[in-house]
Parts: sequence; C-alpha cells; structure tokens
Amino acid sequence: MSDLLSNLWMGFHVAANPFNIFFCLLGALVGTLVGVLPGIGTVATIAMLLPITFGLPPVGALIMLAGIYYGAQYGGSTTSVLVNIPGEATSVITCLDGHQMARQGRAGPALSIAAIGSFFAGCVATVLVAALGAPLTSIALLFGPAEYFSLMVLGLIFAVVLAKGSVLKAVAMVVTGLLLSMVGSDLETGAGRMTFDIAELADGIGFANVAMGVFGFAEIVRNLELPPESRDILKTKISGLMPTRQDLIDSAGAIARGTALGSLVGILPGGGAVIASFAAYTFEKKIAKDPSRFGRGAIQGVAAPESANNAAAQTSFIPLLTLGIPPNAVMALMVGAMTIHGIVPGPQVMTKQPELFWGMIASMWLGNLMLVVINLPLVGVWVTLLRVPYRLLYPSIIVFCCIGIYSINNSPTDVVIAAIFGVVGYWFIKHDFEPAPMLLGFVLGPLMEENLRRAMLIARGDATVFFTRPISGVLLSTAIILLVLAALPKIRRRRDEVFVE
Amino acid sequence: MSEGLSPSPRGTRPGFAINTHNWLGGSIVAVLAVFFLAFAFYIPNALTARFLAAALLVIGIGAAVGLLPVHAPRDLYGGLALVMLATFALIASADLPGQRGFAFGPGTAPRLFSFVLAALGAAVAVGGVFAEGPPIEKYKIRGPTFVIVAILAFAAMIRPLGLVPATFLAFIISILGSTEMRWIESLIAAAAMTLFCVLLFVYLLNLPFQLWPRF
Repeated sequence: MSDLLSNLWMGFHVAANPFNIFFCLLGALVGTLVGVLPGIGTVATIAMLLPITFGLPPVGALIMLAGIYYGAQYGGSTTSVLVNIPGEATSVITCLDGHQMARQGRAGPALSIAAIGSFFAGCVATVLVAALGAPLTSIALLFGPAEYFSLMVLGLIFAVVLAKGSVLKAVAMVVTGLLLSMVGSDLETGAGRMTFDIAELADGIGFANVAMGVFGFAEIVRNLELPPESRDILKTKISGLMPTRQDLIDSAGAIARGTALGSLVGILPGGGAVIASFAAYTFEKKIAKDPSRFGRGAIQGVAAPESANNAAAQTSFIPLLTLGIPPNAVMALMVGAMTIHGIVPGPQVMTKQPELFWGMIASMWLGNLMLVVINLPLVGVWVTLLRVPYRLLYPSIIVFCCIGIYSINNSPTDVVIAAIFGVVGYWFIKHDFEPAPMLLGFVLGPLMEENLRRAMLIARGDATVFFTRPISGVLLSTAIILLVLAALPKIRRRRDEVFVE
Repeated sequence: MSEGLSPSPRGTRPGFAINTHNWLGGSIVAVLAVFFLAFAFYIPNALTARFLAAALLVIGIGAAVGLLPVHAPRDLYGGLALVMLATFALIASADLPGQRGFAFGPGTAPRLFSFVLAALGAAVAVGGVFAEGPPIEKYKIRGPTFVIVAILAFAAMIRPLGLVPATFLAFIISILGSTEMRWIESLIAAAAMTLFCVLLFVYLLNLPFQLWPRF
C-alpha cells in the first residue's frame, strides 16, 4: 500500500512538471475538439497527431496522446446532448436521453452530470490502474512465448466477438491484418517478405499509413456521400449549468454502477469504451423502477454511459501497460507511439521506466480534472465550431493527414500507401467489413509470429504445447468458447439488438 | 474501438432483388484471376496459388454469366476479394524458404496466414451464395476520385515543389470532391490552412520541410 502511494507520489511529481501539464492540457483540448467534430474518430486523430509528438520527450508524448483519448470521450458527449450528433461512437447512446434533456431545457444539468460522472469514473479508474498494475505485471513474468501467443489470440477473439456485424467477417479481417503485417523484413533471417524489391516496403507497411487510410481517408470519402442535411447542425439554448440536488441524488447510483461496469469491460481485451457505454445503459434501464422514462430524458441514461465510457477508456491502459497487449485500436496506436519512442510496451515498462508508467497514470487523473475545468466553460466555443461547414473541414483534414504521414519518414511513398488504404477502407465499408479488427491484427501480427516461432522452437515442433501448458490452455480454451458462443445464432441476435438500440 | 458511424445492415432479409451487376462483378473477379493464374504459372513453387486462381476464374465466370446464384453480393465479392488477397500473398511469398526442422522459416507464417485467410474468405463467399443479403451500395465516383487524386498529388508535389504549393493545391483538389464547393471561399480557406500548416509544422515543430520549389 505504501508502495502504491509512494509510486503515485512519484507519478504526480512527473505529471506536475509544467511541460507535462502543458502536454496533458493540450491533449485534453485537442481530444475534446476531435470528440466534438463528427467524422473524425479518435483513431484517426491519434494517427494524425503521432508525427507531432516525435519531437517531444516520450513521457510528454504519451501523456498527450492519452489526453486526446479521454478528451474525446468528453467532447463526444457535448454534441450528443446539444445537437443529437454523437461526435464519437462512444457517445451514441448518450444521444438518447441527453438530447431529450436538452429539449426540455435541461442541457446544462445533462452536460454537468456527464462531466461529473466522467470525472468520478476517471478518479476510480486511475486508482484501479495504479493498484492493478503491479500484480498484473508479476503475472506477466510467468508468461512464456506460448502464453503470450494464446493471450493475443484471446485478445483478438474478444475484439472479434465485440465488433459489430458478422463474426466470420471480423475473423477474416483479423487474419487480413496479420497477413499484411508480414510484409517487410523477416525478424530472424532478414529476408525481404512480399516486398517485390520495393525499398520502401523493406521496413514493412507503416501502421500509421494503414490507420490513416482506413479510418481517416475512407471515413471522409464515406461522409461525402451522405446528404448534406445529415451533417447540418441545430441550435439549442443552454441555460443554467448546475444540476439540482435531486439530479445528483438520482444519478449517484448510476454513476457508481457505470464506473464499475466500465472499468471491468475496459480491462478485458477487445472491450473498450463503446461496449462499456452500451452495456451500462442497458443495465440501468433493466434495473430501473420505471424503464419507460429512459429515452425521454432520464438523467441516469446520461450518467451511466458517460461514466462507463470514461472508466473503460482508462482501464484499457491496463493490458497495454502490464502485458504489452493493446486491447483495442486506439491502444494499438499507443503501441506504435511507444515503439517510435523506443519503448517496448510490456511488463518491463513499469520496472525499467517507472517515471513513464506512474507519470502517465497520474496524468490521467490530472487530465480528467482539467477536462472538467475546461469543458464546461468552453461548451459555447465547441458548439460554434460545429458550424464550420464540412466542405471546408474535410480538405483541411486531408492535407493535415498528408503532411503528417509525409513527416514520419519524409517519404512520399508512405502518402501513396495511405491513399491505397483509403480506397481499401472505402471498399471495406461497402462490403460491411469492420476495419478495427484488421488494425488490431496488423499491430499484433509481428508479436504473434515471434512468439509462435519461439514457442514452437522451444517445444521442438510440438504444436500441442499451446494446450498442454496450463495458462496457455486456459486462455486458448476461453478464446474458443467465446468464438463458439458468438457464432451461435441466439447470442448473435441479442448482440445485434444491442447495437441497433 | 469501432469507428464505423455508418449503419451496416446485416443478416438475412427476404425480398432483396437479385443483384443486376453480377456480369460486372464476375468479370472483374475473372480478369484478376487470369492475371493471378498467369503469374502463378510463371513462378515456381506456387501450386496452391495456381489452384486458387483457377477456382477464382471459374467462380468469376460463373457469376458473370449468371450460372452462380448471388443472394448476398456484399458477402460474395467481399469473400472472393479476400481469397484473391490470399492468392496474391501466396504468390508473393513463394520464393521464401519454409520450415526447416523445428524452426519456422521466413515463409512459414505468411503461407500459414494465407491458407487461413483463403479458407475464411471462401466461407464468407459461400455465405454470399446461400444467404440473402442487401445489394452492394452504389460506388460514388466524384468524392473518392478527387480525394485520392488530392492525396496522390500531394505525394507527387511535396518533393519537387515544396510544402506551400503542395498543401495549397492538394486542398483545392480535394475540395472539388464536394458538390457544395464555392471558389472564393475555397481559395481563402486553402490559403489559411496552408499558413496554419506552415506555422505549425515548420515554425512550431521545427520539422525539416522545404517550403517553396527549389530552382
């Protein structure tokens, strides 16, 4: 316990460094901005801003990227409530009750409850990350190559089960990502694989190019197809920010339950903030005395999902920081960011770079505090921003992305590769393929292959090792059971319902 | 995690008309399959790829002439495309040495994943033949074309012309993709965005960009 406190103290020491506070604030602001703007997702933004963080020290860079991530959770809720447009996939569910509250003239309480709930969830999740970090890291030391491989399989299966749409297609997307990640030099022999002697491919396909293509460019092309009216913004008046005492009493339980549920879902590989917010809303509705109030401006319908998505956004750092395995696409980008700064994500981060580990955890709490402080007064500014027409917004995003990709390696080829993936991403949308599982497979591919090779070498070519070693066997069996369950028609139907709602 | 804001209709729904563009989709599959087939016969050590390419050719022709019933075109062509990707990967990794004893060679994992992908793609495609599904949404030409051309133009211009012309022109090209564009507004916005990018990337972040064409 005293260890935990002294570690956290060290973390706050790092995070309270004026530079790091500045990066945290900047990340939170940019994240909110992105969350507010519909059409630019968190993944695309982090990919877009990666080059900017090159010049920063690693701690500052990661603090800023983390700030963008949870800032986006806040920003998304603002537009959900005010104009019924979810800025982020995570705040889709907030539209239901949040916008109804705004229509009843209670936009202020809705926004402040969202902020208070998120802040509470953020505080709890920060402590949770700090407390679980050390024990999980020691578990990680028991892991050999076979266990790592099985854990990654489990993580990918989780991502598949929780992705929307067909399970089969999601699995196919994961394997597509794995296959794409094979392009480049072989880890052990250095042989060029599937490179066709193109020098730029010798290092493999850059993951930032893939992410920017399938999430950034493809999404823009997609938005251009939609009729302009669907992107237009309504105007609502905001009067009175503070919730009443009754509001606070009503939502206290919902915030606590949302936080608990969100933290749990966030830790699971493949989980993440979207699922957390849906699950929390459904749960609240189920246990409510009068479920018919939901969808008509029930404050619990705002408090629970907003707390849940923020809690999940933060606890999803746990698998990344302790095991080195990204549980979702955003975390996959964080792996890339860490790699760029020469940090190998995994259990060794905590022992070798304690300043980074604890500094990031402390900055999460600081970031949440800042978000409450900056978000409420700035609501008016964000709404004004929504009036920038999309026809001017999207070319700006495109050139910004182009410059960003080019600056990573000063290579025009990278820009061309991103354009190709933009077309691929557009094609994915047309054929109902989800790009997120592909990106996760793409990032995990090299790690998976390395561990698979090692495990097979150690076991002298005996593939049953993945089932005979106890931890690995449990992980793999869990993965198989999950996959079977998800493929069963009954559960599939229920899963579809959750996403339709 | 999922960024897809677009609704993705899914599942079996009766009453969808059988897609009328199968001659086009099937022909595209067949033409690409011929290309892969020739490639696979040209290089050694690509037996599976030859087999897959031949199968794709038959299926493509079948779909094009209407012999193959297509109930869910999104799934059928989506699955076939994945099989094509796997075929291509098999061809591309045919020259890599495989397993030696217990040790994986450089070619083992790519071939392993290619086989898995081919199987999964085939399963998706089979679903497209038997289950009902929505037709493929119409592909738009204008938006995607201008956006992609803008990105490629940026890639072509950044080295010879420098950051300022590349950014400005890429902005103008991409804005042409929208039907709502207005010239004066666009020129002002392009200039403002260029200025912003120069200030941010060159002066604030100190990245080594060349601003203007070098004479």
